[in-house]
Amino acid sequence: MRSPAGPARLLFDFATIALGAAMTAGLVHIVAILIVPLYASNDAFARLSSLGPVNRTIALAQTGPNSRLIPFGDPAVAGAFCRYDLRDGPLRVRAPAARYEYSSLSFHTNHGGIFYALTDRAAAQGEFNALVVTDDQLRAITARESEDEPSQELRIVSPTNEGFVMMRSFSEAPSLFMEAQARVGALKCQSEAPQS
Amino acid sequence: MIKTLVGGAIGLVAGLWSAESVLRMTSGLDATTIGAWTASVDAGTPDADPYTRAAIERNGEIPLALGEGLQLIARVDDSGAALDPRCVYRVGNKAPAARYWTLGVVDRRGFPIANPAERSIFRSSELLRDENGGFVITVSASARPGNWLPVGAPQGFYLVLRLYDTPFSATATAIDKNALPRVVRESCR
Repeated sequence: MRSPAGPARLLFDFATIALGAAMTAGLVHIVAILIVPLYASNDAFARLSSLGPVNRTIALAQTGPNSRLIPFGDPAVAGAFCRYDLRDGPLRVRAPAARYEYSSLSFHTNHGGIFYALTDRAAAQGEFNALVVTDDQLRAITARESEDEPSQELRIVSPTNEGFVMMRSFSEAPSLFMEAQARVGALKCQSEAPQS
Repeated sequence: MIKTLVGGAIGLVAGLWSAESVLRMTSGLDATTIGAWTASVDAGTPDADPYTRAAIERNGEIPLALGEGLQLIARVDDSGAALDPRCVYRVGNKAPAARYWTLGVVDRRGFPIANPAERSIFRSSELLRDENGGFVITVSASARPGNWLPVGAPQGFYLVLRLYDTPFSATATAIDKNALPRVVRESCR
């Protein structure tokens, strides 16, 4: 005959295992969610990196059933990007802003964060013109400037050395997509010599 | 000892499975739901919650920045039922203020679905509208008169509404439910 402690003991064992499993599951879940952005090898930056080198403007194919590189893209919007590496020096970004049509620039880190964006409505004199810099580069540039004549140029501090600039432009009709593609194709990214 | 191993193994599997399924289904912790539509306003900002960030990293999306616009996704209709390719939906008849918007059909991975009509979106600039500026888009598998958005293959689908240059981009919560298109199921096969 079993001692009365038998079933109770079994229940206790089961409860410990269940509790341990639940705690491990919670921990694993949290850790997994937090490390995905650090280790995602197929994120947007990785996908774009496979298309070409740094500083080159590369047009993205129009999103479609057979064009499946970047999900949730808009078939009405043409896109082009250039990757950068600020270890080569600050990055000069220029692009003509369309006269009427929507176009925009957004600045992305290599880990999925967006740190700046502007549309054609904020572009001065019909042109996007910005300098992407690191904190240190910005300090070096401002140190050389006279305080009486602060520069008017748009300087954007990138939190990471690597990232990409994305240009988008809207096509008002399917037949106008080629024009939108030409607009984003005019994006220019160039490293400026790190001045010392 | 064995107890610890068993518990740990179950925990590991359960933890990874739950993380994976959350990332597949997620609309993010900070997602705003308005009627049938959800938007993740912080998607493209450094303030995005860990779930939103991980989901975006994993699916490779390049989200719209706050200053560019706002993307809203409908996975369900107005009654809360999942969108079904065998049904006919009327979507309309208003959209929030924006310089441009598009309304499209995507598969569950976020890509347009192939269809003989070769149409996967309507632009705000190419819609047929009624005399009050309202519109109705019919989402269905078989052809419809007017603004017809084909569903294509009989598979699960989502509706995506993208607003460009909209005053709401930073404050999706400020969008009134009545300003968004309604998603009403009409009939099913």
